[in-house]
Amino acid sequence: MQKIMIVEDDPAIREELALLLKNEGYCPLPVTNFTDVSEQAVRNRPDLILLDIGLPGRDGFSICMGLRKAVSAPIIFVTSRDSSLDEVQALSLGGDDYITKPYSIPVLMARIKAVLRRGSKATEPDVMEVRGLRLNLTKGTISTEAGTTALTRNELQILACLMEHAGEIISRADLIEALWDNQIYIDDNTLSVNVTRLRGKLSELGLQDFIKTRRGMGYQLI
Amino acid sequence: MNAHYNAQKGINMTIVEFLSDRLGQFVLQAVFAAAASIFLIATGTESGIVVLLLVAWLLVLLCTQTVAFLRCRSRLHELESIMDSLDQKYLFAECIPEARSIYERRLLDLSRRAGKAMIGAVSDARAAGQEYREYVESWVHEIKTPITAAGLICRSADPATRQKLSRELAQIEAHVERALFYARAESPEKDFIIRPVSLADIVAQAIDRHRTLLIQSNVRVETEHLEQSVYTDEKWAGFILGQLLQNAARYRNEHPVITLSAKPLGQRVQLIVRDNGIGIPAHELPRVFDRGFTGSNGRTRGGSTGMGLYLCRKLADCLEIELQIRSETGDGTENGAGNGTVLILTFPAHQTLPNYAK
Repeated sequence: MQKIMIVEDDPAIREELALLLKNEGYCPLPVTNFTDVSEQAVRNRPDLILLDIGLPGRDGFSICMGLRKAVSAPIIFVTSRDSSLDEVQALSLGGDDYITKPYSIPVLMARIKAVLRRGSKATEPDVMEVRGLRLNLTKGTISTEAGTTALTRNELQILACLMEHAGEIISRADLIEALWDNQIYIDDNTLSVNVTRLRGKLSELGLQDFIKTRRGMGYQLI
Repeated sequence: MNAHYNAQKGINMTIVEFLSDRLGQFVLQAVFAAAASIFLIATGTESGIVVLLLVAWLLVLLCTQTVAFLRCRSRLHELESIMDSLDQKYLFAECIPEARSIYERRLLDLSRRAGKAMIGAVSDARAAGQEYREYVESWVHEIKTPITAAGLICRSADPATRQKLSRELAQIEAHVERALFYARAESPEKDFIIRPVSLADIVAQAIDRHRTLLIQSNVRVETEHLEQSVYTDEKWAGFILGQLLQNAARYRNEHPVITLSAKPLGQRVQLIVRDNGIGIPAHELPRVFDRGFTGSNGRTRGGSTGMGLYLCRKLADCLEIELQIRSETGDGTENGAGNGTVLILTFPAHQTLPNYAK
């Protein structure tokens, strides 16, 4: 489990963020004492550090300099200071990313994931497989024993999101959020149209009823 | 030309003024001369000598008064040219080299004291303005912490409540953001950095920032040809774009679509933001960038502050972005085709930017 250190002075944010990260499958390390952040980082060896700039006593910039000397874990600044000057300073001090408050949760999670991936050099699997359906993310194709078909970008992302959570019910709202994360800014109607097309392509490959509609709840792969 | 004319006028005034200033003196001298003449004639002096004395007296008087007038005139000339050459006129009294008489020195001292008091008042007002802006900025940073916390907490509410709460939070955020940029735009030392930024990044960030509003308004956003970089400040340009996205979502029609596309225009780059919303009546278009202008759309829908586009114009001016707006209202004349608003942001070419911004 990847450890994420949370350096944040507001208790409400610290606790909620820790809860959120735990639910997302990370191990949160909330920091409550800001005088020896570097030592705590050395002791706990986090994989990622979320760092606020406006902290009591010391500011995040000086903590960042200390951390950079002590550990090699990537640092994401999470702050309400949002001028370009602050951002340039943060990145030049060795920050890996800069997120301004208030952030949207999906955006925060996506950025955490991206920085962790960059650090570990591990790549996302580019082939997914569910019940005999293979999705090739780099080529943008799906294949079964019956053959291979190319997907559009929208269809690809919809299917990838459903396959990632195979078996679970994904609400239309969540699906739209997931698509917006991938810079596909579609509305409800377009989602329906794309799902219908995707179903058509799937049934051509012999997979009828692969995507189930759960009335009033969303879609499900079973 | 104008200054010269004023100076001329000043001198003409002075001749009349000069004489009227010393009228009492002249009358006194005349009375004294008359009395002296009567006395001299009465005591048996020849009238020829009296006339001679009077003429001599008059000549001396004329000479001294002419000299006095000329000195006065040249002094005024000098003072006026000092005043003309000053950028900050209120520093006038400080810039006068040397008083010519005790009387003048006293006057200058008084004027200097008045100037000092004024400078003090002005700098107090400036400092107060600066403090107020700083307070607004720090307040905005403070308020973002509870907004963030509320956003995280509302995640555990049920979906319907979460949706409603996140919409309200997004609105709070948008208002706070406008207050922040208002303070920034008013600040004399603008803290923006002009550097090459990817247009696609600015657009993606602006959409991300307002995704709650956009998704809940069921907006579809299309992006085309954004693979360009522009010279601007990422945050400021993102704010401008955010206002346009909010407007497009707020004044939408059925099946709202926002299209963001870019194209080069010589050395410059144009970003075109097009929506298919309700549009703005033609007669209101020239005023949409005015402060506090809400227009008929804002009045009928409510919740309009009239600050969004005003701030856009202000920030765009700082970044040397040209802002143009076109709009058509769909009153059913042309099958409703071509409705909506188009905003064009023309980003500057690198060369034309002032040096401080590079």
